[in-house]
Parts: sequence; C-alpha cells; structure tokens
Amino acid sequence: MLVLLLLHLFAGLLAPALVRWWGRQAFLALALVPAAGFGWVVTRLGPVLAGEEQRETVPWIPVLDLAVALRLDALALAFAALVTGVGALVLVYCARYFSPGEEGTGRFAGCLTAFAGSMLGLVLADDMLLLYVFWELTTVFSFLLIGGSGRRLAARRAASQALILTTAGGLAMLVGLILIGQASGSYLLSEVVADPGSGTAMTVGAALVLAGAVTKSALVPFHFWLPAAMEAPTPVSAYLHAAAMVKAGVYLVARLAPGLADVPGWRPVVLGLGVATMLVGGYRALRQKDLKLLLAFGTVSQLGFLVTLVGAGSAELAAAGLTMTLAHGLFKSTLFLTVGVVDHATGTRDLRRLSGLGRRLPVLAVIGTAAAASMAGLPPLLGFVGKEAAFTALLDGGLPDRTVAVVVLVGLVAGSVLTAAYTARFLWGAFARKPGIPDTAVEHPPEALFLAAPAVLALTGLVLGPASPLLDPLVAAYAETLPLYAPEAEHLALWHGWQPALALSALTVLGGAALFAVRGPVQRLQGRVAVGASADEGYWNVVQGVDRLSVLVTGTTQRGSLPAYLGTILVVVLALPGTLLLTRAPWPGEWRAWDTPVQAVVGVVVVTAAALTLRIRQRLSAVLVVGVTGYGIAVVFALQGAPDLALTQFLVETLTLVVFVLVLRKLPKDISERHKPRERAVRGVIAVSVGAFMGAVGAVALAVRTATPVSADWPGPAYAFGGGKNIVNVTLVDIRAWDTIGEVSLLVVAATGVASLVFLRGRTGGVDRVTRADLARSSEGSRRAPRDRWLAATATLDPARRSVVLEVITRLLFHTIMVFSLYLLFSGHNEPGGGFAGGLVAGLALVLRYLAGGRYELGEAAPVAPGLLLGSGLLFAGVTGVAGLLLGGGVLQTAIVETTLPVLGSVKLVTSLFFDCGVYLIVVGLVLDVLRSLGAELDRQEDQEDPIELSPGEVVLR
Amino acid sequence: MIEVLAPLPVLLPLLGAAGALLVARHPTFQRTLSTVVLTAVLAVSVVLLLVADAEGAGAVSVGGWPVPLGVVLVVDRLSALMLVVASTVALGVLVFAVGQGAADGSEETPLSIFHPTFLVLVAGVSNAFLAGDLFNLYVGFEILLMASYVLLTLGGTAARIRGGITYIIVSLTSSLLFLAAIGLVYAATGTVNMAQLAVRLGELPEGTQVLLQSMLLVAFGIKAAVFPLSAWLPDSYPTAPAPVTAVFAGLLTKVGVYALIRTQTLLFPGGALDDVLLWAALATMVVGILGAVAQSDLRRMLSFTLVSHIGYMVFGIALGTAAGLAGAIFYVAHHIAIQTTLFLVAGLVERQGGTTAVDRLGGLARRSPLLAVLFFVPAMNLAGIPPLSGFIGKLGLLEAGVAHGGAAAYTLVAGGVVTSLLTLLAVGRVWTRAFWRSPNQAPVEDTAAAAAAAATERRRPADEGVPSDDAASDDAPPRTALQDAWRRHTAVATATEAQMPPAAGAVRALRPLPRTMVGATAALMALTVALTGLAGPLYGLADRAATDLFDRTPYVSSVFGEEAP
Amino acid sequence: MTPTIVLPVMIGGLYAAGVYLLLDRSLTRVLLGFLLLGNATNLLLLSAGGPSGLAPILGYSDADEINDPLPQALVLTAIVITFGISAFLLAIIHRSWRLARNEVVGTDEEDRRVAARRATDADELDPDDLAPEDRAAMHADSLPADLEELADDVDLPAGQGAP
Repeated sequence: MLVLLLLHLFAGLLAPALVRWWGRQAFLALALVPAAGFGWVVTRLGPVLAGEEQRETVPWIPVLDLAVALRLDALALAFAALVTGVGALVLVYCARYFSPGEEGTGRFAGCLTAFAGSMLGLVLADDMLLLYVFWELTTVFSFLLIGGSGRRLAARRAASQALILTTAGGLAMLVGLILIGQASGSYLLSEVVADPGSGTAMTVGAALVLAGAVTKSALVPFHFWLPAAMEAPTPVSAYLHAAAMVKAGVYLVARLAPGLADVPGWRPVVLGLGVATMLVGGYRALRQKDLKLLLAFGTVSQLGFLVTLVGAGSAELAAAGLTMTLAHGLFKSTLFLTVGVVDHATGTRDLRRLSGLGRRLPVLAVIGTAAAASMAGLPPLLGFVGKEAAFTALLDGGLPDRTVAVVVLVGLVAGSVLTAAYTARFLWGAFARKPGIPDTAVEHPPEALFLAAPAVLALTGLVLGPASPLLDPLVAAYAETLPLYAPEAEHLALWHGWQPALALSALTVLGGAALFAVRGPVQRLQGRVAVGASADEGYWNVVQGVDRLSVLVTGTTQRGSLPAYLGTILVVVLALPGTLLLTRAPWPGEWRAWDTPVQAVVGVVVVTAAALTLRIRQRLSAVLVVGVTGYGIAVVFALQGAPDLALTQFLVETLTLVVFVLVLRKLPKDISERHKPRERAVRGVIAVSVGAFMGAVGAVALAVRTATPVSADWPGPAYAFGGGKNIVNVTLVDIRAWDTIGEVSLLVVAATGVASLVFLRGRTGGVDRVTRADLARSSEGSRRAPRDRWLAATATLDPARRSVVLEVITRLLFHTIMVFSLYLLFSGHNEPGGGFAGGLVAGLALVLRYLAGGRYELGEAAPVAPGLLLGSGLLFAGVTGVAGLLLGGGVLQTAIVETTLPVLGSVKLVTSLFFDCGVYLIVVGLVLDVLRSLGAELDRQEDQEDPIELSPGEVVLR
Repeated sequence: MIEVLAPLPVLLPLLGAAGALLVARHPTFQRTLSTVVLTAVLAVSVVLLLVADAEGAGAVSVGGWPVPLGVVLVVDRLSALMLVVASTVALGVLVFAVGQGAADGSEETPLSIFHPTFLVLVAGVSNAFLAGDLFNLYVGFEILLMASYVLLTLGGTAARIRGGITYIIVSLTSSLLFLAAIGLVYAATGTVNMAQLAVRLGELPEGTQVLLQSMLLVAFGIKAAVFPLSAWLPDSYPTAPAPVTAVFAGLLTKVGVYALIRTQTLLFPGGALDDVLLWAALATMVVGILGAVAQSDLRRMLSFTLVSHIGYMVFGIALGTAAGLAGAIFYVAHHIAIQTTLFLVAGLVERQGGTTAVDRLGGLARRSPLLAVLFFVPAMNLAGIPPLSGFIGKLGLLEAGVAHGGAAAYTLVAGGVVTSLLTLLAVGRVWTRAFWRSPNQAPVEDTAAAAAAAATERRRPADEGVPSDDAASDDAPPRTALQDAWRRHTAVATATEAQMPPAAGAVRALRPLPRTMVGATAALMALTVALTGLAGPLYGLADRAATDLFDRTPYVSSVFGEEAP
Repeated sequence: MTPTIVLPVMIGGLYAAGVYLLLDRSLTRVLLGFLLLGNATNLLLLSAGGPSGLAPILGYSDADEINDPLPQALVLTAIVITFGISAFLLAIIHRSWRLARNEVVGTDEEDRRVAARRATDADELDPDDLAPEDRAAMHADSLPADLEELADDVDLPAGQGAP
C-alpha cells in the first residue's frame, strides 16, 4: 500500500517534466499509476471478502502516536476502488481535454496525480492522525486545482474559500480526533471503532469530527463552496468534486458510524443535516442554467443523501449507503465528463443555448442518458438498486426510532423527487432540441479517447445494476460491523419483487417527471422566493469581519511609538513583579542607615544631579550633570571597597563625556522636543513607581540572603591558580575570563558599528597622515624642518582652533600617560588596574592628542587602522583561550611560569597576561575607532563643506 | 570530549571574526573564512548533540576552576539541539548573504562589516545556549544584541535607523532588567551558577522566589516578544536587509524562548507563574496573528506571524508538562528553520518583484515557478499543513494541551487552532495576491498598500499604477461565468500570455535571481521539508530533552558531579 | 543580610530619573536616561555583594574583611559593556541627525497606515460588490438582477433572456 502512495507521490513530482516532454499524452502515462492502484485493489477483493485485512505499519512519530498505519478492509476497499478507478479514467480524459501545449498543464497534471495519491491514502489510513494528514493534503491540492493559473478573480475566490472553509472544518476535526483518541486510548481507527471511549470528551470529539466531515462534504450550511468550486476545469469537478474529495466526509462518517453512531448528538446532526442538504441541493439544482452548476448542486444534494444513509448507524442503511456511494461516484463523474465534452465540442454549457445535441453527438447522448438514469434511480441501474435498498431499509425499521425513520424516509423521497426532476432537466437541457433555438454547432467533435472515460464509467454503472448481487458480499462485509434493526438483512438485488419500496421509487420518478413538466411555473416561483446565496455572503462577511477586527486590534496594540512600547514594558514590570513585591515577598526585618556617612553625602549629590537632568534642556550641561552622577557613583564604588571599579568608572565616565561632546558639537544647543503635560505626568508616575520598586526590591532580595557567596572561596585559589593578588583582576582575566572574552568581542562589534554608521560603506577609510604639502601650506616661513617637530600636525589646524595650553599639556603628558597605561596593564594582576583601565588610559592619551592636534595629529599618534588593533586584540584573547585547549588543559586555562632573567631577576609570568593584553588592545582600538569616526571623520565632513550645511543653532566646541 | 568541544562554538566564530577584521581588505578571503568557520561550528554542534544525547549532559569549567568558582558551560540535549539548528540556519543565511553581496556589491550589506559582526552574532547565540552561569547568559545576550544592533542598522538608511532605534532601546531596557534581576538573584543566593541556583533558589522564601522569577520572565519575555512586550518586533525587523532579518527572525527571539525554558524548568520548577504565561501565550498567538492578517507587506506579515507563533512555544512551556515542553522544543527547532527560510524567500521576492508590498506584486507564480515553490511549501509549513513540520509541532502542542485538560488549556487549544487557521488565511492571501493575481489587478483604492509599497520600495522608484484598460485586457475574463471553461483555459490564456510580457515589463523590470541566493534558500526549504521525515527521531530527542529538564538532576549533576550540593 | 537605606534610595532615585528620561522622544535624553539606568543597575549589582569592605587585594587586606569581589567583577564587565553601547548609540544619534536633521524617536508610519486602513481587497469583497463575471457562478441564480430576468424561461430562446 505504502508503495502505491509513494508511486503517486513520485508521479506527481515527475508530472511537470513528463508534460514538458510528451505534451498532453503524458496524462496517459500518469493514468497508469492510479490504474495500477485499481488493479491491486481488485486483486485484494478476494482476501478481504474472505475476512482477512491487510495492514502495513511504518512508525513515524511514536511520541505522538502518529504512525503510517494503513489498513485495507471492505469499506476502504470499496472507496479505494472508486478513487483509483475514477482517477485513472479522469486522467485519460485529461489527455484530450487539454489542448496541446496549453499553459499550466504540467502543474495541473502534478497536482491531480498527487491528489489521487492523497485521496487513496485517506481511505487507506488506519491512524486517525494520518487520516487527517491526507485529509488536509486533499484540501491543499484542491486549492491549487481550483485556482488554476490564478488569473481569474472568481477562481481565486473560490479556491481560497474552499481552502479556508475545509481547513477550518479540518482543524476542528483534528481537535476532535485528539479528544477521541485520548478518550478511547488509541489513535487507530480500527481500535477506536472497536471500543470507543465515553464521556464528554467523546461527545465533543464526535461533534468536532462531524464538523470536519460536514465542511468537507459540503453539507448545509457549508454547501456553498462546492458549486463555487466549479470554476475548476471539468476533470477536477468530475474527480474531486464528484467522485473523490467530497466523498472524504462520507467515508469518515461511514468509518466512524459503527463506533460513534450512539454517541449523543451524532444521529440528530447527521440525519438532520443530511436530509436538509439533500432538499436544498435538489431545490437549487432545479433552476441552474449552467449544466455544470446543475450537476454541482445535484452533487450537494446527493452528498446529503449519502451522509444520511451511512451515518444512520444501522446495517441495512449502511449497506444502501455504500452502494449508493459507488453508484454516485460512477454516474456523477460520468455526467461531469459528459458536460466537459459538450463544453469542449460546442463552447458552451448554457442549457438555454444548447439544442439538438442528442442528434449530433449520439454516443455522448447515450452515455449521458445511461448515467442520468442511474442518478434518477431508474432500473436496471445501480442507482436504482441503492435507492431501493435505502427505502426498504427505512420502511422496515432501519433506525432505532421508528418515527425518525418515517421522517427521514419522507425527506429522502422528497429529495429523490427533486433528483429525478433535475435529472430530467439535465438531459433535456443538454441533448433535447429546444423550440426556437437553432441547433448548436459542434466545433470540435470529440475523439474516441475523449469519450472513453465517460463510456466506461456509464457502462460500469449499467452492468453493476443487474450484477449488484456480486457487490453484496463486499457491502455486507462492511454492513455487518453495524447493528441490524430490521427483522432480517436485505440483500442487494435488482428485483426484490412487488414491495412498498418499489412503489416509492415509482413515486419519485413520476413526481420528478411532473415537476419537470411544470418547470416554467416552478422556476417563476423559485425566482420570487429566491433569498440569495446567504451562506456564501455570510462567509465573505465573516472574512471581512476578521479583517476589520484585525485592523482594529493591530491599530490599538501596535502604536508605532517607542515611548508607548517602553511604557507598556515598564507597566508590566510594575504590574507583575511590582504586585508580587507588595503582596508576596517578605520585607527586610531590619535596616542599616549606611555603610559610612560619606555614602549618604555622595548619595545626596548623585540623586540631586540625577533630578537636575530632568529639567535641563541644554544638551551639553545635561551631559555634564549626568557625568556628575557617574563620578559620584565612582566615589561610592571606592567607598564600597572596589578600587578597580572606581578607577574604571572614572575613566569610562570621562571617555563617555568626550565622545558625547564629539557628537553633540554637531547638534543644536537645546533639545527642542517638548512633551504635553499629560505625557509628562504619566511618565512621572511610571518613573517614580519604577524607581521605588527597584530601590525596594534590591533591599528585599538582599534581606533574605543566608547562603555564603561562592566568592568566599576565591582568595586562596586566586593566588594559587590565578597567580594574582588583585582578586577582581584575576576574576576578570581568569576565573570569569569567559565573560571577559565575550565582553571584548562585544566591544569589537561596537567599534565596528560606530565606524559603519559614519563610514557607511566599509569599516574605515585610510589613516589620515600629514603630507608635506599640508605642512608646506600651513607652515611656510617657519625655518624648522616640518617633520622633526612633535605635534607637528597641529600646524594643519586653522589657528583659531589651536589652543596653546592644550598643546603644552599634551606635550607634557602624552608619554607619561602612555607609560602609566602600560604600568596599569602589567601591574593590574596584583594591584588596581588591568587591561581595561590601561586601555582606557591609553585611549584618553589619544583623545588628548586629537583634541590638541586635530585629525592629522590623531593619524600621527596612531598610524594604524583600528580594525587591526581590534582584530589582533580579539585574536590574542581568543588564542589564549584555544591555547589552553591545545596544551591539553581546559579552555582559557592559565599557566604560571617563573624564571630568572639576567637583567630583571626573578620574573613571574602568568599567561593570563596575554589575555589582558588582548583586552588592552581592544579597548585602545575601540577608543581609536570612536575618535577616528566620530572625531576625525566628522571634522573631515565639516572641512569639505559636507552636503548637510551647518544649521544656525549648531555649536562648534573647541 | 565535551570538555574540548563545548567552547568551540563560541571561540571559533570569535577567532573567525578576528581574522575577518585583520583581512578586511580581502572580501574573498573573508567569505571563505566565515563559511569555513560556520561549517566547522555546525560540525562541532552536531558532534556535541550526538554526545549529549548518548552520554547525557556534560559541563566544562572554563579555566579549569573548581565548580562553582568559575564559569561553566553546560551541554545538555536542549542546548546541543539549539546549537545545531542555530548553526545550520546561520550557515544558510551566510551563504545567502554572500550571494547577495556578490550580486549587489557592498551596497546593501557592506561585507567588511557584515562578516565579523555576523560571526560575533553567532558566537553570542552559541554562548547564550551554552551558558551554565546566569551572568554569562547575560553576556551572551549582550554579544548577540550588540551584533544585531550593528547588523540591523547596516548602511544606515533612514528606515533602518528608525527601526533600529526602536529595537535597540527596547533591547537595552530588557537587558537592564535582566542585569538587575541577576543582581537580585545574587543578592538573595550569593551565586550566579545556574546549577547551584537550582538548589539555592529553592531554599528562599516562596514569595521572593516568585518575585525573582517574575523579573526574569519579564526580561526574557521582551527578548522572546511575548505580548504585551512584543510590539517592538514588527516595527524593527522588516527594515533590515533580507539575510539579517532572516537570521533575526529565526534565531534571536528563540534565544529568549530558550532562556524562558531554562528559567521555568531549571531555576523555578514550581510552575508558580504558569497561569500568567498561559494567558500571555493566548494573547500573543491571537493578537499576533490578527496583526499578520492586517498587514499588506510580506515582511511585516511574516514578522507578525513570528510573534504569534512565539505564543505556541510559550503555550508549551506554560503547560508545565513534559509533553508540552517537548512540543515547545520541537516547535522552536521547526520555527527557527521555517521563519529563516520564509524571510529569505521574502528577500528573493523583493528582488524578483521589486517590492514586498503584496498589493504591488503579482503574477509571480507564472513569472518564476521556482520562486512559487520556494514560497508555497514553507508557507504551508508555517500554516501547519500536514505532513510538514509545522503540523507536527502544532499536533504535539495540541495533544499536550488536551492531555493537560482544564479550562485554560482547552481555551489555549482553541486559540491555537484559530491561530493556525488565520495563519493559513494570511499566507494564503499572499499567495493569491502576489503569486496568482496578475500585477495590475492590485486594488488602486488600497492606499495603505500603495503607501506601504512606497515605503518598502528601496531598489527602484515606485512604479505607477498600470492603465486600467491594460488591467481589463490582462484579466480578460469571459463576460459571463456561464462561458466555456475550455476556451477560458486556452484562448484567453494565450491571449493574456500574448500581452503579458509588455504588461510585466511596464510594471517592473525582471531581475534574475542569483544562483547562490536561490540555492541557499532552496537548501533551507529542503531542510524544513526533511524535518517531516526526521520528525520521529527529532521529536524523540525533544521529548528526552524535556524529560531531562523536568527532573533537573541531569543538569545539576553534570555540573557538580553525582554529589549535588 | 541587612540592607542599608542609603543605597536603595540612591538606586531608586537614579532609576526614577533614568526612566523619566528614557520615555522622552529626544534621543539624547533617551541616551542620558540609559546612562543613569546603567549606573543605577551597576549600583544595585554591587550592593548585592553586601556591606562595604576593604579592597579585595591580597596583601592589602585580609580575606575575611574584603568586599565581595564577584559583584565587582560583574559590575566592571557591565560598565564596559555600557560604554560600548553608548558609543554606538551616539553614532546612531549622529546618523539620524545627518539623515533627518533631528534626533527624535519617530513613529512607525506603516503602523499608523495599517491602523487607518479602510479599503477591502478585491479578493475579499462581498459577492454582490463584484463585477458579474467575477462572482462565483452559483451566485448568479440568486441575485436581484435575476428576478427581472424571470422572463428568461428556459423554453424561450436565450437571446430574449440574456442578450
């Protein structure tokens, strides 16, 4: 079985290629695939009737009870035969339906073949979830087939409607299946049906599953998608929308009825919707002028009929239902194909334009009539047998409740009358010669191959009527799984002798004939009471409703304003952790005022400064005030006993100030942006509450601490393994070096980012060096040779910008600072300092050079691309990491080498120093990059009258 | 084994980045370098996964410091799985980006910046997955965020700066909250080692526990884009270059989800806030997908579905059962792959059609069948159409939800189903409009779409609406629906074909799709399809991972050895 | 451990000020807010180490009276990270100034457009609002138009019914 499915899959994938090679003849080749399936099914008939089932199981996802479990029993076999047989014939038909080299044929062929495969899988699946898989696959392929090339709006709408609607049902069904599966402890259809669970879950599950079946089989109130789907080419209508896909619902109902028919609510839904659908469909069919639509509504009606029969949950009705299903599959696809031929031959399907085709296409007429007779339930065709069986079954019981049986019977008879009527209308419309309408010209007389498929199908229907006893064992094999309500089981046969059912059949035929005879008045009547395709409009209104809702919701939640988003986030912080803090968390029992009174003093300064920033609208002063808080924090760090922190904080704060100034010199002095009082009030409230929360939560958390910190064990190892006295530094470069390596890589990226935002195209431009030309231009008259003079590049500055003081200071300090930075780097392991501090100090030195000497001076000071510094720094750090691994130690493992060198005496080398050097390089690279881009590059842009002119409010800071 | 391999997914990309910086002037070398590095990372991750699955979780103490003094890296099934998926899509995206760079020159994505940054991004993601130390997790987040800031603002166009600002500020806020939470955790327990925290947090008074948990949840909720903390995402992601958006959408939010999983299982196993999470998940799903339905731009639509489907994962986490967690984990893996693929496809669509504004596109299915397949299959996958992986993940979550029972869980199941349907609606629309409908059928009156097109149109000036007579002739439908299907299928089709090319030409010039980009996208699509076949073992793995997470001993003892403190 | 009063107050104050600035629309102030928040968080982190002590440097001070070095290391990392980020943010500010001549957090136009969205796409219109040839075929038989078309009884030539 699996092989067959895979065969379909590959055929489907291959189809477009085949069509490209062989044109439409490829369909003949493709037809072989379902044909093979049919052949196999036929061979299995004997064994299955002998009572043996064929199973194949391939595990797929055990955890989810999802397995490729296939099973062939009587029911599956009946449907499989239908699916494969009709499928093969339809494919043959396609070989003539399409004109040679028609656009999109390949796609069509692929989808159709793949569809056939999924349909086969659907009826073979034993795992409910697997069934759902194929169920959805058929939906998707029908979507693609209905949409076709997608050029036509109507087709697109029909396609998406069918997709959404059937998927909605399908999803409901999925949940239903899960409920059923968990309620009855198995996902295997065979086991569920054998011993279904009970309880609410089961009831709900059954209802949901029915929802799926109802949408798929186009029962009221979801019947409208099927006629709309007639936008699809005729083979699709014949196969998907008559024989196969819409039968999926019927199949599912038939499959589950043995187990679930007695679940509360099952019978009312199935019988009610079934009968209603049969009547509505028949009624609508009566006034269609498009033959295809007429058939479509006929299909809707018949589906109602079938679901009623197979869903009733009684042996005799089930038997009738299965027979009827086969019959319907045969005659309805025949009729569709016939219409296709008519269409193809004459170029219209409008029964008001067709006339006299009976004479011109006699063969077709015979085929069509035979199929139609079966539809109307005339002996000796299979349709008659099925209908007869149904009537008989209902007459002598057939349902647990007699009255229900009677009601249903009445409904079915009425429906059958309508069926007979629209059958007559169809035949007359397609083939009769109508007064006053010229005989329709036959432009393309159909070839034999084109007629073959419908002919075979019609013939089968014809033969199976008399031969119905042969079907009986198959049908019975399924029916036996259901309880029998009638005194004894009827057997399928053409002739049961004179009995009431026969009278009913006669009644339906006569009634139909009468209805057709008075069609004029009937149609007028229908025209008057036409209510519009309300269900269809309902669908579109729902879709639009969803649209409106989505726009509404999105409009409210997606404000598009950053402050709004931040506000939401902070409110959530207050709402969740804030509430928990107030309600659940234990508050500290005791408080201390401070560690040292000085803390309080600094605290006052810091908080005041912070408060000031809120009022200040001048950028620069705001920045400076924020700087004050920063320095204040540095003092707090120092008081807390963290010299390294204090040092780093101090340096970082200073650098931040510098960078700020570099950027802000381009911006207006004042922040013009003003906010409405209300906004400010809201902000204030949020700000104060968040502040209060954060302040409190810290204390609360600290108060519950009982455990000793892990760092309590550090001091010993720090010196023993880390080889350093400064525990913080050892932590950074050794104990928690992994954090540091991440952090420096972050710095590398930050630097890259800064550069990328200024030099948009690449990392950085070349290094600006002083050329002799510059110096010559700037310092002619000076007797000294230009290059020997240190800080020469200041000469390139416009004198107004030069600051002698600064130059002097720089001269005095630069080298000292650089040396100091190196000292910090190397001594860091044992005293405050380390790579960060050192790098930052070096950075400050560069800042000094730049401020004093401008961008050329910077080039002179650091004649190297920052990218190289960053890259090599990262390489250093990384390599020390890997080195540990390569030397068989752990990653970033430190080694301590103690040697005695001639000059320096005893030297203790801790390998983590290399790591720290990497950090140093990176920090320097970062600062240099910032200066290069936010400093030098901005100067350059300014010097060369940057496209963006200086606005009046702009300040140049020097 | 693990001792040696575990640090590599972080170290290799960093060294690669260093190299890429040093050879910034040689693009070809950069390309090969980063490709090689990422391939190596992928290989290492696969080995790690195999080892972790075979021998259970393992830990490395960096620098050989005795636990819990130093930083530990932990490789358990979950983190290894995440590593594998992440490095796979990273590699795919890199190839795509290289292809794009080769095609566009360094206009869209200046390679000398892109390569090192992208490598560091990967390092950050790997670090976040491997971190066995809360603060190190923070560092990992910061690395990947910093890299993402740079990538998001590549080229510094107005739109990117705007989107970038939103993204950066929100991410900064979440990082600050996270850092503060770490401070609180340390204040309360005196450690940041997660295995040790798993023990020590339990000893705290329950109120404090919930408080800390909620802080972490909020912080990670922002990163994972859980409603109402999600609004930033659709504003920022779509503006970036295609490959960047792709890797963001695929990976970054998932790191947040990963952190959520760790918090909920390892640190705070009580499930104290599961109800909150459940409702958040529901809101995320529904609000997100409604947003997707409302969008008229492909990228934004995808971003909203991203948010919405985060809801699925949170749903799985919030159920607080192993089954739910397994579903969530599988869904994460699936979603990383699928979102990346779809955003790459969006990039291809933009090249092919000149815009991602759905109402300006059209006829793509006919113009580039390959592109149609590349979009349709992942789109259906996203919508959870079986047998694709999206369906499997959804199925797992639904089964878990039903098994969990209870009003809330059933509501979530219903919500999940509705979300899935609306997802189908949203992607189906993109298909019918951008791929089926002929370009000039786009509604003129839809100003939103038109404007959106103008906004998203970066490559070439917005094309004017096509004359209506053209529209009539192109769509040339038979006058009544009763007319014959056959002629409709031949005559009209050919007639349309006849004047399609000029029409198309008038609409926008066709750009050939570079082979590398298509190749990378196709490879990723193939991967997402392959997930269907691999679902059995993969889901089994997810299930084992979930079980490990629930009984937390594997993780803890991997760090502390058998005698857990 | 016993919390002090001063540190929480400082932390709270800095957070309050920082948040207020963070919610501003001017990028400069947002960045300033971020700096304040960063400082506040570092302070919080350090205060998690408990009471103040001596510098954690062996030789200078005893192992048992030093201030907890771990938070110090974390804070140091955090400080540097904050520096890198703020440098980048400044670059962003500069860029956005060069581009738009302002450094204000803009609102996302597309969001507002979507919120203001009215038009329905042709693919979702009501069947009645469509051109006849675009309606689902089955729809044709239930339209008001069909009512006056009643004359077109199928027995009559189609010409009279549907021209």
